[in-house]
Amino acid sequence: MQYMALIYADEEAWAAFSDAERESAYDLYRAFARDAEAAGVMAGGNELGPTRDATTVRVRNDDTLVTDGPYAEVKEALGGYFLLECESMDDAIEWAARIPGAEHGAVEVRPVYVDPAEVQL
Amino acid sequence: MKYAMLIYDDDSAWVDLPDDEKAALRAQEMPKWVALFEELGKSDPNVSGKELDGRGTAKAVRMRDGERIVTDGPFAETKEIVGGVFLIDLPDLDEAIRLAALIPAAAGQGAIEIRPVVQ
Repeated sequence: MQYMALIYADEEAWAAFSDAERESAYDLYRAFARDAEAAGVMAGGNELGPTRDATTVRVRNDDTLVTDGPYAEVKEALGGYFLLECESMDDAIEWAARIPGAEHGAVEVRPVYVDPAEVQL
Repeated sequence: MKYAMLIYDDDSAWVDLPDDEKAALRAQEMPKWVALFEELGKSDPNVSGKELDGRGTAKAVRMRDGERIVTDGPFAETKEIVGGVFLIDLPDLDEAIRLAALIPAAAGQGAIEIRPVVQ
């Protein structure tokens, strides 16, 4: 079963990091990824660019409306995610709690929808 | 450039439906998504997509002072939540916008947030 762990954290704090601080944060993420890989749990992941580089698209009455910025202006923004292959939600929560972002932000764990009868995207 | 397309939509109309009605609604919606996925595949044959289960299955996990705090529900208590993610490699943002507008959830109450992926 796949779970997506969505990492929400304070972007301003991240932006204010010195190079050394950022590098040590990346080290923590790399250590997490290594552990998850060794345990056969790691199924992918991506870091997202900052929300100031986001573009939001809506279609209303057949018109495409494009706005700069994220869908929602929030203090703790989605900054990236991991895909975790776990036996159960409890296991996924265990792993989510080890993601460095859980220490200061929050990690949202969501089962990936699977319907064997349907075309898998 | 790799982009993540975050699909924000209100799933509240879905979550409380009985399973058979949910399945019927899905069956009705699916062809649009399959057609979309084919269209995305023309721009990037390696496009991938993940659909997430509804808000009822979400958990938010925090660590504070060495203690694990798990709460039910998504992180943000908004009507619209992330319902899925496409990951797609495209020449530029204009192409990403064009394709995002084709995503069924861009219409109605939903919105698509395009975010560059850090390489």
